[in-house]
Amino acid sequence: MSDPDDSLALAEYTPGSAAVLTDAERWPTMDAAGAARLDRWRRHPAAPDWVHATGDRLTAEMVERTRRPLPTDGWLEEHLGAARNLLAYRGLGDLAALTDFPPITRQHLVDDLAAFVPLDADLDRMLHGTSSGSTGAALLIPDDVEEVARGFHLMVSLVRAQGIDWSPDGERFAVASVVFQRQAFTYVSLVSGFAHRAMARLNLDTGAWRRPGDRVAFLRDADPQVISGHPTSLAELLQPELRGVLRPLALFSGAMALSGPLRADLEEAYGCPVFDVYGLHETRPIAVRTDDGPFRVLDRRVHVEVLDAEGTVVPEGEVGEITVTAGENPLLPLVRYRTGDTGRLVRFADGGIGIADLEGRENTVFLAADGRRIPCVDLTQQLQTHGARGWSIEQAADGSIDARIVGGDADAVERVLSALLGRGVDVRRYERLIELGEGKPRRYRSAAG
Amino acid sequence: MAESEELLSAWSASAPPEDRAWEATVPGPSLAAVAARMASVPRSFLDARVSIAALAGDVLRPRLLAVSHEDDDRVRRGAAVGLWLVASEDLVEPFAPSVAAAPGIGRAVDALALRLSPVVDPWEWLSDDERREEAVRTFLLWAGLRPAGEDVTTARSLLEARDSLRRNAALAQAYAAHRHRDEIARRLAEARAKEAAARYSSE
Repeated sequence: MSDPDDSLALAEYTPGSAAVLTDAERWPTMDAAGAARLDRWRRHPAAPDWVHATGDRLTAEMVERTRRPLPTDGWLEEHLGAARNLLAYRGLGDLAALTDFPPITRQHLVDDLAAFVPLDADLDRMLHGTSSGSTGAALLIPDDVEEVARGFHLMVSLVRAQGIDWSPDGERFAVASVVFQRQAFTYVSLVSGFAHRAMARLNLDTGAWRRPGDRVAFLRDADPQVISGHPTSLAELLQPELRGVLRPLALFSGAMALSGPLRADLEEAYGCPVFDVYGLHETRPIAVRTDDGPFRVLDRRVHVEVLDAEGTVVPEGEVGEITVTAGENPLLPLVRYRTGDTGRLVRFADGGIGIADLEGRENTVFLAADGRRIPCVDLTQQLQTHGARGWSIEQAADGSIDARIVGGDADAVERVLSALLGRGVDVRRYERLIELGEGKPRRYRSAAG
Repeated sequence: MAESEELLSAWSASAPPEDRAWEATVPGPSLAAVAARMASVPRSFLDARVSIAALAGDVLRPRLLAVSHEDDDRVRRGAAVGLWLVASEDLVEPFAPSVAAAPGIGRAVDALALRLSPVVDPWEWLSDDERREEAVRTFLLWAGLRPAGEDVTTARSLLEARDSLRRNAALAQAYAAHRHRDEIARRLAEARAKEAAARYSSE
């Protein structure tokens, strides 16, 4: 991975380059049994070369606190009160009600992130989060240690609500978070609030393992109770060699649109529910579904509106842009965040709120000249590393590529995209996002993949 | 105020958080000794024709941020007062302990020039005892020192009580905003934050 002759190698994926803490700082409550477990997985004969080391950083008090969801009674009022003190809203007048707040976009966070972080935030709990597959600091998001830990317990509660007993089970991994990309952070960790059971982030790309057969051997031993990923990595679980050794209680899909056929294939292969979670790194999880119906908005600090192009709320049932007020991450209390995704609000029979016809989450696979399938996250990493603020990458049925970028180093992008896709790529560079036309600033399309 | 805010912003971007600066302080010379020395700054140091870049080159090893802002008279005077405190250890007598040898001596001169001058004109440091005390305390803090005989809590509360910025609500608010932005950027860039935490799902 750190091959100096590899023009696509990204420095931060060199093993250990971003790991600086001691294990006692990573898992403050770890006991001898936990340390032995960790050691065993780190040195497992079939383990990949772990690229990173990271823990959950929870003290005993935090472990207890994060077992319970944040209360939702009256949260929105409290949330708006905190938001009024953000630098971002200074001088904007009263902002009495939610709808008085002007909607914001990702670009607002890119331009002045700190204006959206409360002045009195506990910055000791702040971690460096980047949206999946991103490098090169296109958008840094301040993650909160406790919020990240609550994310695990949210998954547990969703699984248990289906009548499945997900509890620590021997030495089985609690979770395997799987990616499928050329380069990725991989690590093994312990879940402090789950009897210090192991979890890992794994790259299913066979190039990430030391020997053929290691991938299957490791996963057989790890025997993860739950596997999370995005559609590209979960699709890999359909490979017969993996089907033969995995027996998850549930699967979680996020980040990108999960197609109905893929969900059905996964359900059939593993006989377990597949949770399709809709959420952005900025907002945290918003809604979830386990079938092809509408997503159900989660019962947590999240409020969903649908807006038209002018920013006006559209009547329930009409299609518009999903706009989220999100209060789970105390370091980034968002009000009316335009997701760039479209959908419409619907009501479930029990009064719950749903999102139907959700569109916009990218899940594009490109076809390289030698037949390899290249997930768009690989392109995202390179585009952001070379400074592009936005892009439109389209592949025609004959495999040819139309690449347009906004900002960044066009020569470097041309070089890396050509190497990645094994074919000459011409890149046109623009100065302003609007020159890509209306819509999302990062877009992919492929008629070949 | 626009110029004052710009100077405070330049200071904010370069200075570590106050909490850390206080934690790092060690006992320094007496407040009275440094205040008396400050009051005796020679007129030649304050002459408008004196180049801070040249003076700093003679007196100090670290490069001063204030040099980039010396077209502002207040900055020039503020830096000159700080450079006098350093130079006076050779010209008059050394402080005990020395301020010139303090780890943050360059930052201490910048603090006078960029953090305090935009709020209180250096002429006032010379004419008003309380403002002079504020200047001395500011200087010592960023040098990495606290007045002899004071612990961190005492020294900190005494400087905060004299902080002139607090009396200028608009400027104080603007400065707080700069500090916040700089602090977030600094924290996110820290390796501790970069190691991040184990994540359980994709978003």
